[in-house]
Amino acid sequence: MTNVLAINQLTYKHNLKTILKDVDLTLETGKIIGLLGENGAGKTTLMRLITGSAKGSGTIAVCGDSVAAHHKSHVSFTEQLRGFKPNTRIDRVANFYRTVYPDFDGQRFEELITFLQIDTSLKLGALSKGMKEKVVIALTLARQAQLYLLDEPFSGIDSMSRKRIISSIIKWKPEDATMVISDHYVSEIAPILDEVVIVKDQGIYAHKPSDAIREEFGIGIEAYYESLYEGGVKHD
Amino acid sequence: MKFDDKIPIYYQIKNYLYHEMMTGALKPGDKLPAVRQLAVDLTVNVNTVQRALGEMITEGILESQRGKGNFVTMNEQRITRLKEQLVMEQLERVYEQLHALNLTDEQIITSLKQYIAQRGQRDDQRVSD
Repeated sequence: MTNVLAINQLTYKHNLKTILKDVDLTLETGKIIGLLGENGAGKTTLMRLITGSAKGSGTIAVCGDSVAAHHKSHVSFTEQLRGFKPNTRIDRVANFYRTVYPDFDGQRFEELITFLQIDTSLKLGALSKGMKEKVVIALTLARQAQLYLLDEPFSGIDSMSRKRIISSIIKWKPEDATMVISDHYVSEIAPILDEVVIVKDQGIYAHKPSDAIREEFGIGIEAYYESLYEGGVKHD
Repeated sequence: MKFDDKIPIYYQIKNYLYHEMMTGALKPGDKLPAVRQLAVDLTVNVNTVQRALGEMITEGILESQRGKGNFVTMNEQRITRLKEQLVMEQLERVYEQLHALNLTDEQIITSLKQYIAQRGQRDDQRVSD
């Protein structure tokens, strides 16, 4: 199996504070990976480093390419659409994506919009949190990328929408693409994860296949994740 | 489908499909849904479905036809053996738990008979309610 992502000795500091230190991480193609960790552990930072939006020391190769400027063409990241004005209609945003990303597939986008029950004539400012998250997911999955990074796609979303988003992930993830989903609430996505990567103490604390965790320890992913924090202080 | 997060998912998928075969929802010679469709239906990962089906193909319960899909075996012997195996697994669990309660083999048989008789009555009542 080939690797879609290879991170070597990555260190990232922000305002003299070390966020990530000497991170090594290799991800194979065709997997769904849960990126778990507390708020502030560095999950979003790690994703931004992978896309090339943030810069640290060390190397990050996406599909064997370690030039950061090229990463955005291989990686589809759940951008939070902050660059758009609230009165922008969803179909306008989609047009923008079509122009910027050559791998944006209009047909896929249409299917996703229908499946996720989104009305594209709505303006961004009129969307509820859950609806906006669905738009972000549709835009992200409509690209034919090798690596998808979904940054907490389920936060503040009702359970019906959550189920739809999970189904859309299973349905639309290209077979040989890898998807990283960050979250601090594990139980709902646990059945769809091939592997879990846990970010803790400024690094990758654990990286294991989910069924291996269940087989080795006889516990669930959530229990395993929580066990790593036992004795420590929990923030939520 | 609801999964128990403590048990490997591929194992639970296998058990689910075995169950479908035992109840007749999946009959000998039936074609299974496509891997991705199964993954969507069960809300699990495509790779995990593939692993479960791969093991069932090795066991001979499923037969893979290149380009056509996966089919439940027509070999009745294999299905009979699978049923025996599933029954034995359940019995093993009950037997071990009752043994752990210090019951002798004789007592286990007596209790089981008693239970079945009582259960039969109870279920009959429920039907007539």
